Amino acid sequence: MNIETKNLTKTYKDTRVLNLTQECNALFFESGKIHGIIGPNGSGKTTLMKIMAGLISPSDGDVLYDGRPGINDVPKDITYSSHRPTLFSRTVFENIAYPLKIRKRSKAEIHTIVSELLDEFKISAIQTHNAKKLSGGESQKTAMARALSFSPKVLFLDEPTANIDPKSVKLMEAALLKRKKSQGLTIIIITHNLSQAFRICDTLTFLNQGTCLYSGPSHGLIESVDPIIHDFISFNLLKKSDFPIKS
Amino acid sequence: MEYIITGFVEAFRLIFSFDPEIMGIVFLSLYVSFSSTLYATIIGVPLGILLGITNFRGKRIVSRFLYTFMSFPPVVIGLFTALFLARSGPFGQFQLMYTPSAMIIAQTILVTPVVMGIVFNQASTSGYNVVQTGKTLGAGKGHTLLLLIAELKGTIMIALVTGFGRAISEVGAVMIVGGNIRGFTRVMTTFIAMNNNMGQYSTAIAMGIILMTISFITNSILYKYIIGDINEYRD
Repeated sequence: MNIETKNLTKTYKDTRVLNLTQECNALFFESGKIHGIIGPNGSGKTTLMKIMAGLISPSDGDVLYDGRPGINDVPKDITYSSHRPTLFSRTVFENIAYPLKIRKRSKAEIHTIVSELLDEFKISAIQTHNAKKLSGGESQKTAMARALSFSPKVLFLDEPTANIDPKSVKLMEAALLKRKKSQGLTIIIITHNLSQAFRICDTLTFLNQGTCLYSGPSHGLIESVDPIIHDFISFNLLKKSDFPIKS
Repeated sequence: MEYIITGFVEAFRLIFSFDPEIMGIVFLSLYVSFSSTLYATIIGVPLGILLGITNFRGKRIVSRFLYTFMSFPPVVIGLFTALFLARSGPFGQFQLMYTPSAMIIAQTILVTPVVMGIVFNQASTSGYNVVQTGKTLGAGKGHTLLLLIAELKGTIMIALVTGFGRAISEVGAVMIVGGNIRGFTRVMTTFIAMNNNMGQYSTAIAMGIILMTISFITNSILYKYIIGDINEYRD
């Protein structure tokens, strides 16, 4: 599913936290690709993502889903997961099964899908644990497995690998790349990990103080002459050549 | 000091003699308090959830009023209920004054803000996240409501038992609207108050022990099956 934003703005109590009316007034997130949103804290990344996911309304502007305006009618096959996910007070298995249950899938089908996800995210051993008792990394893996269980068309991830170990990061990135390739899943991801952004994202959008400074192919960001972007990259990367930048 | 000891001895004698009047008072107390708690739950839980998860102008003021009502003096609620139910009041035609129904109405008014306030508080903090998460997973309104009730189950049970505790232990409201009529509207608390005024301490202590025992059993059940379960999740 393609997602497009048009002149989005968001104002909270007289403070404009997002203003995409000038630079990048029309962002385009192409179907079947991984799109990264990066930028310093308070730059409007989460606000932009929540608007696109239909969780908050913009003050102005619109979001198009496959060309159709959808602020008041966000499609049900998009989902959102944050680095502090809300898991339900039930087992890990039941958490992952929840989206399938409400879609009235058969018990056998639910069992097959959930078991595969438990194996893929290496959380089979904790499938009977109550999700409220999990560690941060286990919670994030459970939340991502739950988000993927019903094969959504768009997956929004807000810092999905924050505070988790490198092995789990690798596992989660592999899961995303696999679905991008096999299912054509559109993934929009917020990350503070620049090397991760260059590793998995096809495009990057750079926000700063609610405005967009760059939106385009990942490799294009590194060539940007904008001083804010330049500082951000310099601080995050030791040497440009350290990282596998796509070209 | 001696009358206190005598009071306790007499109390146990009264309890184990299964005096019909005492049993009647206990059952009426339970009936009135359970009924009012049930009605308060039916009204208070959905309203508490709705208030908690909805953002609207004036929500802060509404919540302040709600918290004030949670600690409203029972005797004032009894007074207002009596004014409405009295023969010359707006609902006088129903002839509810000095009946168990009037007591249930007064206690429902007393308990509803307690149930609503506790549910509102939890729904405001965690309910919003549950609703948002449900939405991102494709839950419709019906599924979201079920999800919320399931997630707030522990809080709802705590609200219910707190409400029941407030209902069964209050004396002011039931005294005013019930009238403490022997064999008809006399409940445990009005019975205790009356016997204390008459200097019959042993009978008052006996009823006090029964009241505390009921409270203890109710809270033990809650702790064993609900709160204990929640605490286990929070380890």
